[in-house]
Amino acid sequence: MKIIIAGAGSVGRYMAEQLSSTGNEVTLIDSDANAISRVNIAGVTVTLGDACEVDTLSKAGLSNADVVAAVTGDDEDNLVISLLAKQEFAVPRVVARVNNPNNEWMFNEMWGVDVAVSTPHLLTAMVEEAVSIGSLVRIMKFEHGKAQLAEVTLAAGSPAIGTRIADLGLPRETTVVAIMRDGHVLSPQADIPLHQGDEVVVLLTGDVEQDVRRVLIGNSAS
Amino acid sequence: MNIFRRQRSDSPVVEESVYPLIASLTPRSKTAIRGRVVRIVRQPTQGLPTLLVRIEDASGAATAVWLGRRSIGGLDLGRTVVIEGVPMTSATGLRFLNPAYTLLP
Repeated sequence: MKIIIAGAGSVGRYMAEQLSSTGNEVTLIDSDANAISRVNIAGVTVTLGDACEVDTLSKAGLSNADVVAAVTGDDEDNLVISLLAKQEFAVPRVVARVNNPNNEWMFNEMWGVDVAVSTPHLLTAMVEEAVSIGSLVRIMKFEHGKAQLAEVTLAAGSPAIGTRIADLGLPRETTVVAIMRDGHVLSPQADIPLHQGDEVVVLLTGDVEQDVRRVLIGNSAS
Repeated sequence: MNIFRRQRSDSPVVEESVYPLIASLTPRSKTAIRGRVVRIVRQPTQGLPTLLVRIEDASGAATAVWLGRRSIGGLDLGRTVVIEGVPMTSATGLRFLNPAYTLLP
């Protein structure tokens, strides 16, 4: 896959290294010559220039890129890069980094963003996950919130304890993707009974969060 | 950062009167097409305002999508227009995102 990363900071450089090592064709763009000079990754192409300019993007080869990742430390830049990638180069997949969570609402199709990744949001989710038992923690959203990955750690009063996955009565739009028990990941076979303390990871589509809460947490939960 | 402007005057992408047929377009390469507006869909009430305009020529049809707007003055059914932008493939054929447009008499 041809991947173009705008922003050669620590995030961009790390991504370039990882993606390049898995056999992708990676190009990094940055307007800062110092940042570009720090890129010393075999197989990664660099383009010096302002990624908010169509000419730079054209030079970097956006017209046949499969994915563009706008990961600069500036949300305005990331939005402009995303819009240009979508509108001027019809890039199939545009991923953008959200630096300030207050700006997250703008990272949608209006600005050409297919997937927005917000580090503060992820951190909050991880902290929430660590401290909360018996509540639904939203880990990640896909497709602009139409699908999301959530996790529930089964508390003592959960009606799901002792029930097999197949008999939980989860709505059709929900898929159990993994059960974490005693540090092991169990593949969610239909006949596995759930235990107290299990971390159940579910993929939800649509507006079924309430049903999932009812099944995995019980009625008393908010 | 001039994102929303498009200077059509200085360097036309396609010379007038030789617009390519819609059926012959290559996705993801900048082009201009000329056709008639055959369908307009407005989605103004829910979420992001979106204007979808279906444009047809002798060979086929493409859709122009404008995000954040509910209508474009003069862009009505039956109108002949020139659409300039980068077409991308979609489930309903080629689509142009926020293309430049010229209303023809």
